[in-house]
Amino acid sequence: MAVDFETIVFVIVSAAAIAGALGCVFSARVAHSLLWLMFTFFAVAAVFVIAYAEMLAAIQILVYLGSVMLVVQFGVMLTRRRIQDVESLPTLNAISAISGIGVIAFVLALIRQIMDHPNWEQPNAGAPSTLDFADSLFNQWTMATVVLGALLAMAMIGASYLVRDERLINLLWDMGVEE
Amino acid sequence: MIDPSWIAALGVILFGIGLLGTFYHKNAIVVLMCIELMLNAANLNFVAAASHYGDVNGWVFTAIAIAIAAAEVAIGLAILLSLYSSQGTISLDAAKELKN
Repeated sequence: MAVDFETIVFVIVSAAAIAGALGCVFSARVAHSLLWLMFTFFAVAAVFVIAYAEMLAAIQILVYLGSVMLVVQFGVMLTRRRIQDVESLPTLNAISAISGIGVIAFVLALIRQIMDHPNWEQPNAGAPSTLDFADSLFNQWTMATVVLGALLAMAMIGASYLVRDERLINLLWDMGVEE
Repeated sequence: MIDPSWIAALGVILFGIGLLGTFYHKNAIVVLMCIELMLNAANLNFVAAASHYGDVNGWVFTAIAIAIAAAEVAIGLAILLSLYSSQGTISLDAAKELKN
């Protein structure tokens, strides 16, 4: 079996993704977890490029790394406490060990299932193009896109409602009352 | 192109690591990040299937999943900030109620 360039790139990128995910789970500090997670998301974007999904790679970098991770970073900064350093260490007791073994067994069984799945035996049809993607998103899935926009607007309104500050001084300032 | 089943297997591994993280951590922000990791693993599966079948619907589902993940993380962090301001902690062991 000849090892071509694409396989080498895929192996490097997937090793980076797995290393980043492990770093995210096992870092002691939340900020380090966040950086490892961003590393993983970059690697996943590279896997998208390998699968000819360049548009999704761009969306991944713009939306995940640009905005979602920024929001998470704000969350980390606004809730900084002793828990961030001390209590966020993984709790390594017996129950965690058992659940970890269970998860590893689950992953191994799932990998075996997914690699041997008969669906993969059909001939590879080749990846769709970005033009197909735009056509499908805005012609076949128009309603879903509109509903998605409404969902995002609702999420923004709900988030700003949840973090409102109801102290009297703010309410008075809202109503334009002078001190 | 690389065999799509390998991409699906990478998705499974990332999903397992994310699941492990949700079990291990008691800081709610890290749990939220591990959930993001699991969502991304699911996206990898969608992309693998889309590039195997040449069906663009997998890409559409991935875009929808990314948008929903953005909404989810905004709401989740708003809840965590509200929890932090009312109880002074976001440890999943210490927080007892969400009522303000």
